[in-house]
Amino acid sequence: MIRMVSIVIIQVLVLYSMYLAGTWIQNALDLMIPGSIIGMVLLFCLLVTKILPLRWIQEGSRFLLTHLTLFFIPVTVGVIEFSHVFKGKGLLLIPAVLVSTILVMLISGILLDFFMSKRLKKGSNET
Amino acid sequence: MKHSLIEIAFLAFTIGLYLLSLQLYRRWRHPFLTPILTAVTVIICFLIIFDFSYETYMTGAVWIDKLLGPAVVALAYPLYIHRGLLMKYTFPLLLSIVTGVCVGMFSGLFFAQMIGTSQDVILSLLPKSVTTPVAMEITRVSGGMPSIVVVFAMIAGIGGVITAPFLFKWFKIKSDMSRGLGLGAASHAIGTSKALEYGSQAVATSSVAMTISALVASIIIPIIASWV
Repeated sequence: MIRMVSIVIIQVLVLYSMYLAGTWIQNALDLMIPGSIIGMVLLFCLLVTKILPLRWIQEGSRFLLTHLTLFFIPVTVGVIEFSHVFKGKGLLLIPAVLVSTILVMLISGILLDFFMSKRLKKGSNET
Repeated sequence: MKHSLIEIAFLAFTIGLYLLSLQLYRRWRHPFLTPILTAVTVIICFLIIFDFSYETYMTGAVWIDKLLGPAVVALAYPLYIHRGLLMKYTFPLLLSIVTGVCVGMFSGLFFAQMIGTSQDVILSLLPKSVTTPVAMEITRVSGGMPSIVVVFAMIAGIGGVITAPFLFKWFKIKSDMSRGLGLGAASHAIGTSKALEYGSQAVATSSVAMTISALVASIIIPIIASWV
């Protein structure tokens, strides 16, 4: 148990240092991409090139991703300061978000379905 | 001394409530019982009833907020695990995902302009289909309101998961991969957990879709935002 906890803490620190590196790159190059995303790409590259072994970050990543929800509870509570956004016609934003979500799901899903069926046909012609 | 006590109390309160709502969700698995919804509602009610300001709450809760950055970095882990899928179907996956991101962004922009909301609301609306931590990071960069984007992302997540089974049936989206992709692109992490019902292939596609669309969105949205 203590061993597991310390592994998770150390690996979260490794991930935290990647985040800091990402933020540093963002500031140094004056980019508009969030530093955490740069850190993510950085980590992905290090994993693919095998510079960083997966087991160095595996437990820490699993821990952070399992409890992802916890980390944005504090910011979400901040909605009490912005309740005016959803008053009056702002209420219309809710159906707008719903329709937009449905469009994304349909169009991206149908598009991939189309590509995959073409690929399947091609595959069956070849065999 | 009194201050640090309040800090620790709010920190423990948040973590405790989170764990409790997680138990609740694991027992019934209903989309409306998503832990964040339960926990945030209870915390907001508590703050209002006992007349604490958000600022006071944040003095303690800010420590949780600090883990958001490394959590986004950790998204590289599922992407690395499913990299085989991405390598095999690079072109169809990327094209569908990028299209999804654009549809989400421009339809959001269109509706917001139709309704006629203020600029910072529009900026908070753009990344709604992106996984919540990344959506927050994007709004921080582009100048929207991180607290509001969470609400939009939650509506996109829960709404998408509830409508998905009907959409797949009516529009004959049959393959598990396409279903997973739609769920991941439109409803991020909540969608990915729904994809479990369509098999492991759907989960893999969904988590690839979620991660890649987060990446694409964080590059495109700040640019679009500077035009709005």
